[in-house]
Amino acid sequence: MRNIFAVAGIVIKELYRRKDFYVLFILTVLVCLIMASVNIFNDKQIVRYLKELCLLLIWISSLVIAITTTARQIPAEREQRTLLPLLAKPITRTQLIFGKFLGCWLVCGLVLICFYVFFGALAASRDHTWPLLNYFQAAFLHWIMLGVVVALALLGSLVFAAPSSNSTICFVIVATILTVGRYLDAVALAQPEPFRSMLYVVYFAIPHLEIPFEMRNLIVHDWPLIGWNFIGLYLLYALAYTAAFLVAACLVFRRKPVN
Amino acid sequence: MLALLVFCFGLGATLQPQFQALENNRHQSNDFFHLLLGDSSRMLANSFFVKADEYYHSGYYPTIFDNNEAFKTPHVAEDTGAVNSKNHGEETSFMGPPRDWIDAFGRHFIPNRHTHLDEGGPADDLSTSDNVREILPWLKLSARLDPDNITTYTVTAYWLRLRMHKVKEAEEVLREGLRNNPQSYEILFELGRLYDENYHDADRARNVWQLAVRYWLKLTPEEQKDDKLLFEQITTHLGQLEETAGNPTQAVNWFQAAQKVSLTPGELQKRIDSLKEKVTDQPQLPVPKTTY
Amino acid sequence: MPVILKTEKLRVEFRSHEFRQATKIALAGLDLEVSAGEVFGFLGPNGAGKTTTMNVLLGFVPPTSGAAYLFGIDVRQPIARQRIGYLPEMTYYYKFLTAEELLRFYAKIFGLPRGETDKRIDQLLKLVELEHARKRPIKSYSKGMQQRVGLAQALINNPDLLILDEPTSGLDPLGRMKVREIIQRLKQEGKTVFFSSHELGEVETICDRVAIIHQGELKAIGRVNEITGQRASLEKAFLDIIGFQPITAP
Repeated sequence: MRNIFAVAGIVIKELYRRKDFYVLFILTVLVCLIMASVNIFNDKQIVRYLKELCLLLIWISSLVIAITTTARQIPAEREQRTLLPLLAKPITRTQLIFGKFLGCWLVCGLVLICFYVFFGALAASRDHTWPLLNYFQAAFLHWIMLGVVVALALLGSLVFAAPSSNSTICFVIVATILTVGRYLDAVALAQPEPFRSMLYVVYFAIPHLEIPFEMRNLIVHDWPLIGWNFIGLYLLYALAYTAAFLVAACLVFRRKPVN
Repeated sequence: MLALLVFCFGLGATLQPQFQALENNRHQSNDFFHLLLGDSSRMLANSFFVKADEYYHSGYYPTIFDNNEAFKTPHVAEDTGAVNSKNHGEETSFMGPPRDWIDAFGRHFIPNRHTHLDEGGPADDLSTSDNVREILPWLKLSARLDPDNITTYTVTAYWLRLRMHKVKEAEEVLREGLRNNPQSYEILFELGRLYDENYHDADRARNVWQLAVRYWLKLTPEEQKDDKLLFEQITTHLGQLEETAGNPTQAVNWFQAAQKVSLTPGELQKRIDSLKEKVTDQPQLPVPKTTY
Repeated sequence: MPVILKTEKLRVEFRSHEFRQATKIALAGLDLEVSAGEVFGFLGPNGAGKTTTMNVLLGFVPPTSGAAYLFGIDVRQPIARQRIGYLPEMTYYYKFLTAEELLRFYAKIFGLPRGETDKRIDQLLKLVELEHARKRPIKSYSKGMQQRVGLAQALINNPDLLILDEPTSGLDPLGRMKVREIIQRLKQEGKTVFFSSHELGEVETICDRVAIIHQGELKAIGRVNEITGQRASLEKAFLDIIGFQPITAP
């Protein structure tokens, strides 16, 4: 575990020394503040459109950070040859993969904390409420979902040669799941065989990342809390996919030449 | 290199006036969205109008994959009573039963109950009914993107005036609608209602409604056939206004005009009869001519 | 003296993925032993198999057949690397870290306690003369400074065996002298140094024993003077052993 935490610490250091997060955060803040300054029929209490916009920007930014940070981890180590002195130490490849995953996932967590605090402050400035538990549920599920994305991107970084192609493919896959993942079964029903069966296989095989994504509506429109048992179930579901991707990544990395 | 630059500059300067003179050239527009998006802004305007309805339902809204028979006409517009509703079917359970365990599980994470913002929203708390204000940004954006869509202005004005008691803002919206659609009798009707019901300015209301009638009469017979309901409403309101102002003869004329298009002429006839009884020695005022 | 490093009939083949391309034999049954306290030079022309041997010893590449041991432990086990330090030929480190952070990171992997880590970092930065730059990010270092950071990270765990891949490559004469001094000092401390180099003059000066490898096969092994024999220099002996034929004038 020591080695895993050590590698994770390096990933976190890299985050706050690169400019990606700061640029995205400042951009999000600027866009939200500009939209908040728009006069809508002299009503200063309108807040839901702002919440929706802010949450959308948070989702986009967090996915950008998660995928780009993870996609460049192993390829950058190989390209810059920092992998050699690292693996010459008493650390296994599995520990390295888990360390990279943990680092990237913790990075996502830190990013989300910053974004959601801003979101909460922005919403509270209008509606003067702090539904902390609701925000916590949304942020927690968001973070869990990003764990799956990070594991997927890590596997992709070992399968695809270039970080850019891995990032593009990950973005396409994640965006597709977020937008149409919930409806693939409905689409499948309308198709003839064998497309119906193929779509069903895809529908049941993909990780349903859209579940936390669609939870935004509950936050925007002030719906009550979700039952904690469902949160727990989704946590287990996401952890299963994360573990599967990480195991696959470890198996692929074991066979990869280091240089 | 210099010769090439000069040539390009000259070509650009020569072609620029011809390009600007092209019909529907976006460059002529002063509006930022029209400049950026061109005619596709109308498509977006409709999406944002539907978005307002989605906000009205606190996010519980059908997608293209769901049964949206009960949402063909957005409820924000249907509730104003000013549009012909195309809705039928069940609006509380458009999603149907869960298709599989993933769908069933996922429904715990999305809005899953039919509510209206002005009826208390998801919390069923009537004290929060002015949360209906949340639909306004989308209506405003929709009007901005498609200034020719009259329904957006009338719906927005309805919610502002009647539900949120923002009369001045409602008037501004209607005036903006009139600037973009100068001959819109629908907007004039709403404006008249605002003057009558909120400002209690009968004269202005009368002028505006009479102008609305004139514009309606300029329509082709086919167009008039499609919108008899609104003509009835305008003339009925004029009749009521004249009745309140103590001009029964005028009122009778307006009610008679309304009767010609009404689906319930009997009801109007009763009013006409009671008004005729009140006509005594009042001076005969000029009767507005209607060709209908 | 105990044997620190050992290979037994070490064979490494690289199979080509292209159609009809032959398998490349990088190492053909290499038998090698290095005892504790030795400074051992590993020589050979480019492509001889020196780096492949080191890659096997470090666990980067699995052997096709045969075995390799460090301190009696199979190299495939991570614990075999607990007491070694490695300096790669091309020294690249995390550019966003400072020298101190980099050393602290590697110390953590070795499981060094915090107090000992702080002490080692101070000692090593003083040894490689990077104290003045300890808080600067590595991306601002010159090549020589990066090489010295590399040496420091190879020594962070006070290793008993140091594996250096061309340690003086790219260094100016002053830098090379410093590296030689460090190797001499390590030898005096009883450490074992296993390094490859093309600088035969250096090898002659500091190595106890050398091995010459060519086309994956061990051609000669022994003390420097044994290998040189009657020839004028180690370089001449090297060229003879690998079978170099000089181009003669017609």
